[in-house]
Amino acid sequence: MISALKRQDNWTLIGLFITLLMLIALFSWQSEFFFTTRNFINIGQAISIRGLIAIGLTVVMIAGGLDLSMAAVAAVAGMVTASLITLEVNSVLVGVLGIAAAGVLGSFNALLIVKFRINPIIATLGTLLFYRGLAFVSTGGDNIVIGVNAWSELGRGSWLGAPITVWLFLAVVVMGMCFMRFTVAGNHLYAIGGNSEACRNVGIRVDRLRGWTYVAQACLAGLAGLMLTSQSGTALPSALNGAELDIIAAVLLGGIALSGGRGGLLGTLLGLLIIGVVQNGLILLQVQIYWQSVVRGAILIIAVTLDSLRRGGGYR
Amino acid sequence: MGEPSKPPLMRLSNVSKAFGQVKALVDVSLDLRAGEVVGLLGDNGAGKSTLIKILSGNYHADEGSFEYQGRPVTINRPADAQALGIATVYQDLALVETRSVAHNIYLGREPRRFGYFMDRRKMERDANVMLEDLNISLASQKTDVELLSGGQRQAVALSRAIAMGGNILLLDEPTAALGVEQTQQVHHLITSMRRQDKAVVVITHDLSDILDITDRIAVLRQGKLWAYAPSSETTTNQIIGWITGVAPPHIRNGAGEMNNGSAQ
Repeated sequence: MISALKRQDNWTLIGLFITLLMLIALFSWQSEFFFTTRNFINIGQAISIRGLIAIGLTVVMIAGGLDLSMAAVAAVAGMVTASLITLEVNSVLVGVLGIAAAGVLGSFNALLIVKFRINPIIATLGTLLFYRGLAFVSTGGDNIVIGVNAWSELGRGSWLGAPITVWLFLAVVVMGMCFMRFTVAGNHLYAIGGNSEACRNVGIRVDRLRGWTYVAQACLAGLAGLMLTSQSGTALPSALNGAELDIIAAVLLGGIALSGGRGGLLGTLLGLLIIGVVQNGLILLQVQIYWQSVVRGAILIIAVTLDSLRRGGGYR
Repeated sequence: MGEPSKPPLMRLSNVSKAFGQVKALVDVSLDLRAGEVVGLLGDNGAGKSTLIKILSGNYHADEGSFEYQGRPVTINRPADAQALGIATVYQDLALVETRSVAHNIYLGREPRRFGYFMDRRKMERDANVMLEDLNISLASQKTDVELLSGGQRQAVALSRAIAMGGNILLLDEPTAALGVEQTQQVHHLITSMRRQDKAVVVITHDLSDILDITDRIAVLRQGKLWAYAPSSETTTNQIIGWITGVAPPHIRNGAGEMNNGSAQ
């Protein structure tokens, strides 16, 4: 128990949880619409698609990497999926091919980072521009409208009272948590983020594992792209444009260190919930939309400042 | 401590290594016995690191032979050394600060269940047993390494070397960065290695306690084994004389005359 309290990550989680409860209390007091099942479903719906990408990013960052290209990957996957649907390809095959396309883009990220040893920020900044460009070039900038069909059920349907997107997101969260905590590979990813040289010394295949995180991240981004396309009935080349920074903010808020080796998916989930609740609450309180960004930024700055003070400063 | 009648765990005979014109090691012969601690001393550039790197398979000796428990062996690669149970604990320790003591000890060799899952409970239990055997007291083997003192980290690094099957432990300056109390802890640790029947080589510049924690002293000077003597028959002043070359070479109880030795 004492060692559990000494663990710095656990304090971060407790802090996030208390923050979330306080925000919920605040908005419930200020708005009668906030504390309702319907509204919580809205919040879940709002965070689940970006959340899928945030889960992948968390794993990448725990292993000491970073991926800026994930929103662009989601857009490409959406475009690929929509094109295949308009060609009337079998639905299951469409899903598989859409995610596979994303996986290929992720493999390219992995190649640049673990084979050519390019800094992940630079490598994925390059592929962010490249992939986003591909999404636009594919149709000359036009959207692809698929309308409402069998596919729409994925993004619009619900099960046991909650949207399928939310269930899917929660399933990925739980699987991700189990993977990171219980498998040898998941624990190796933590160790790699902590000290990759030490891991190489004992024979852990650092490059291979790191490479897989980028592929997995891209596949999750692809899934997010699919859900988004299904939900809106349209594939936009500009889908999730600019969402990269919001997603990174949620992950950092959840206690993941840029240096790797720390944090977990529970933190990311709390980070996403806090941002989702704030976003939702501000809308219910009819605060001018531009305040959203100000408040989100402030929360991130406060959270990482408190964290840094408690740890005695991390940036030198 | 070691039984003189048994063959040494590891015997190096006439090992030489040159880098171009520079003779880093010349004709060095040394015995490493189970349950014995050898202090490897010498000035900078005397050949200590070269010797350690040859033993750990990172360098290939130009000449000389090795025997493991009386049987001739070759050490060409780090994997060869590992197979013989030779483990090196380097100065920077190579620990993962953000992981627990138990995970650091078993890093890369985690006990598994069903192939892919980590058996955390078994890992922690094994770590506990190992730390108890070594007489290492930590608050908990679940503690992250970043919360440990320098001496405790050394203990974790040593435990890993043993968990990896190390019987011959090469410690590179284990007390270099430590304070007085932590240096004491590491010395206790080295003593408990001896009880565990490991053969230990300690490279050090710290002469203060070296005679108390070692069974033999080996001094390298200009690549040659200048002195090799039981610690009990040696004084600190003698060691300084050997290191600086003021005192003449002094080989007692070396590989060539192992049977005359009264090991304390």
